[in-house]
Amino acid sequence: MKDINIVIEICGSAGEGTISAGEILSRFMSGQGFEIMSFDSYPAEIRGFGKCVAHTRISSNPIYSPGKFVDVLISLNDKHSISQLGSLKESGVLIYDSQPARPHKEDESAVGWTKPGMVSYGIPLNMLAHKAAGNARGMNMVALGVIAALFHMEKDQFTDSIKARYGKKKQIVIDSNVNSFIEGYGWTKENIKKNDSYSFKGVNLPEQKEKLIINGNQLVARAALDSNLSFYAGYPITPATKIMEILSRELPKHGGTLLQTEDEISAIGAVVGAGFGGKRAMTATSGPGFALMTEFTGLSVMAEVPAVIINSQRGGPSTGIPTKTEQSDFNSAVSGGTGDCPRIVLAPTDTKSCYDAVVLALYLAEKYQTLVVVLMDFFLSNSIKNIDVPQKPLPEYLNANIAPGKDELKDYKRYKITKNGISPRAVPGTKGGIFFSTGLEHDEYGRPDYGEAGHLKMTRKRFKKFNAVLSEAPAPEISISGKNEFDIGVISWGSSAGAAHEAVMSAQKEGINASSFSSMMVSPFPQKALIEFSDKCKKILIPELNFSGQFAGFTSHILKRPVEKLNFITGRPMASEDIIQKMREM
Amino acid sequence: MENISSEYLDEKLETVRNIDFLQYRSKELPTWCPGCGYFGIVDALYRACRELNLKNEDIVTVSGIGCSGRTPVFINSYGFHTLHGRSIPVASGLKLAREDLTVFAVAGDGDALGIGGGHLPHVARKNINITFLLFDNSIYGLTKGQSSSTTPYEMKTNSHPAGNPDTPLNPVRLALSYGASFVARGYAGDPEGLKEIIKKATLHQGFSFVQILTPCVTFDKENRTWKNLKLKVTGLKLCVEGKNMETAMRIAEDEPHGVGIIYQDKDRPHYQEILRTINKAG
Ligand SMILES: Cc1ncc(C[n+]2csc(CCOP(=O)(O)OP(=O)(O)O)c2C)c(N)n1
Ligand code: SF4
Ligand SMILES: [Mg+2]
Repeated sequence: MKDINIVIEICGSAGEGTISAGEILSRFMSGQGFEIMSFDSYPAEIRGFGKCVAHTRISSNPIYSPGKFVDVLISLNDKHSISQLGSLKESGVLIYDSQPARPHKEDESAVGWTKPGMVSYGIPLNMLAHKAAGNARGMNMVALGVIAALFHMEKDQFTDSIKARYGKKKQIVIDSNVNSFIEGYGWTKENIKKNDSYSFKGVNLPEQKEKLIINGNQLVARAALDSNLSFYAGYPITPATKIMEILSRELPKHGGTLLQTEDEISAIGAVVGAGFGGKRAMTATSGPGFALMTEFTGLSVMAEVPAVIINSQRGGPSTGIPTKTEQSDFNSAVSGGTGDCPRIVLAPTDTKSCYDAVVLALYLAEKYQTLVVVLMDFFLSNSIKNIDVPQKPLPEYLNANIAPGKDELKDYKRYKITKNGISPRAVPGTKGGIFFSTGLEHDEYGRPDYGEAGHLKMTRKRFKKFNAVLSEAPAPEISISGKNEFDIGVISWGSSAGAAHEAVMSAQKEGINASSFSSMMVSPFPQKALIEFSDKCKKILIPELNFSGQFAGFTSHILKRPVEKLNFITGRPMASEDIIQKMREM
Repeated sequence: MENISSEYLDEKLETVRNIDFLQYRSKELPTWCPGCGYFGIVDALYRACRELNLKNEDIVTVSGIGCSGRTPVFINSYGFHTLHGRSIPVASGLKLAREDLTVFAVAGDGDALGIGGGHLPHVARKNINITFLLFDNSIYGLTKGQSSSTTPYEMKTNSHPAGNPDTPLNPVRLALSYGASFVARGYAGDPEGLKEIIKKATLHQGFSFVQILTPCVTFDKENRTWKNLKLKVTGLKLCVEGKNMETAMRIAEDEPHGVGIIYQDKDRPHYQEILRTINKAG
């Protein structure tokens, strides 16, 4: 029995079924018991013939990053695929159309650009598609047939996956897709002599569990529904739009209300309004919308009204790069806006933790009566993984408001100073609970109070509450514990954490003594655990997807020691390969 | 200053003792300048709440920032003093999440038509069931007398000492063209009349827009003064009842000081009703 870990890319033009082919492949492989992670890229323009890449990593072991280098590249369109060859491994496989509809000019054929050591298989993809269904549309399915044959995938079950995918379509659509697959499979078996070593036969697989094939945006919506969200307001923006679209379908079925607003100011305003009414409410956006929401983030903190904002980061600043992933809103999320404004920020580190982060966010916002920002990114929003079905939130996570008791209502102080800073909160409709809230500094009753002592007292109260949140922080993830000394400690956050963990695990095999640290809660930050970790490490490396090293700056301030930075703004997710490379150099 | 007889004062005091709308007044002493029109507005609001028999704890007053923003402090209801221009979004979210509450959104002319002007079209076309009270003194009060979106052309203000170069907006015309299902105008100097209007606005199922003509006695000595308002404000001359857009628009153009209900569409469902119907059908 053996392990497998392979990255397959299908590259074609928009409209050629590239992305659907990738989707069918990952669904099928997940059903076979493999771990999968896929991350597609497609042109920002809706129409046209831009380049599409379906990127799927398939492994018999847990996957933490999408993989930088490609084992198998399938070219449905050589013009686009040539630029993909740069990431094909030195011993990788190229599958290309040997009889394209229009013959290639000399330097336009992908195979002409392969390097020695690569294996290429020329398959008449276009011709076979015509043979199977009378047109070129089925080329993507022919390609799936080819890889199924080459890499020993189970043919009949694969066919079933294709049928399932097109199940609701007309019979003729199902038939032509299936026939194209079979055509590709049969032709390859008959005509191709396998020349590479990739094979899924005899792979050692972990025990099968029910798996969910899902992306971060879908998980956010699911977690919100499972957490009894009752109000959502939003304004469309890539890469967060899908969250609103899912909730617009699902939230009314759960008795909730969805409001598409005129802008993001209005969206967060409505969320704060619903929160004031005692209901669970949230919005989702990206950088430009998050910028607009800033004035309300301050109000949520000052007036102590629960609010949850999901910010799925994209390239910035300004309109930036809408369809590229980046981690450059750290500073803005943790400290953007005016005044001394402590707010909770959760940065999920992988697909699964998007669910956990949203459950925790809605709970913390309600209990601590404050703003919670969930900092995702384009990659987490859109990359697909197969994960274990998440456990629904425990009852105590669903009902967290601390309401005033009868005694407290006798002389109700909405902003009463308490030990942990949380003041019991009445919601409108409560007899005897009438209060006034304001974004102005105020006294314990909520009345405007500009006094020096009052401002200090209330600022302290808000920070006390903020610090109390730390007791609810999920334990930081540390790759290798139990050792007292490491040559390198990799500290990361958000979607880069997976790659950091993977890098550390691979580095072990090279004899590099390293560990990695990440915390889903980045504000307040579990500083004690961080310092403990750092004390064990001779050198610290902080990889992140922004130019200036925002998190590195934040961290070195806590650690009071120099750190090594590793920064990318390529628009691609963090790659473990790049981290290892850096570790080798350190 | 007029001469006020002691009998007159005694009589007034007696009525004050007997009125029961005081339950809607908070214990806080208003911080507005003596003589400010806003006293008349909250007075009308207290009376309307009394006559509608609203429970204090079921009312929420949401405001923006400005002198008008202080309103919730003086009302014995749940109150939320939000951000400059943002009473509409907050009130909308609150009402959609808590249909059981009566939600008043108040705003100054700067609040509603300047910084928050982008929200008005949408709350109107969605027909969200809140009552919106525009405290229109045609000046920025709190920041001490700069031009607002309803300051008359050429009027001298602290931001335009040579005269306001901007043409003012016409709030009623805007509300009508945005599709507000209830549009009215009231006068701070007539709390009884204003009370009737606020009552109808509150009972209206949908977005109700009430422009209230009110003076800023401190920063406007020439335009919307008590003296001018007393001269100009009248009942509506054109007769309207219910849904008559043509007449309503004529009032917007020709009767800038006409007070009364200008337009009401009782048939249009409010937002939650629409959502319920659409989501059931979808
Ligand atoms: C974002 C923002 N910009 C500016 C201000 C300063 N500001 C406070 S109130 C106000 C104008 C108030 O005028 P209006 O809305 O007409 O209310 P009024 O005071 O007349 O009742 C301004 C400009 C603020 N609070 N917030
Ligand atoms: S400044 Fe004008 S609007 Fe403000 S309280 Fe004084 S009179 Fe009223
Ligand atoms: Mg004003």
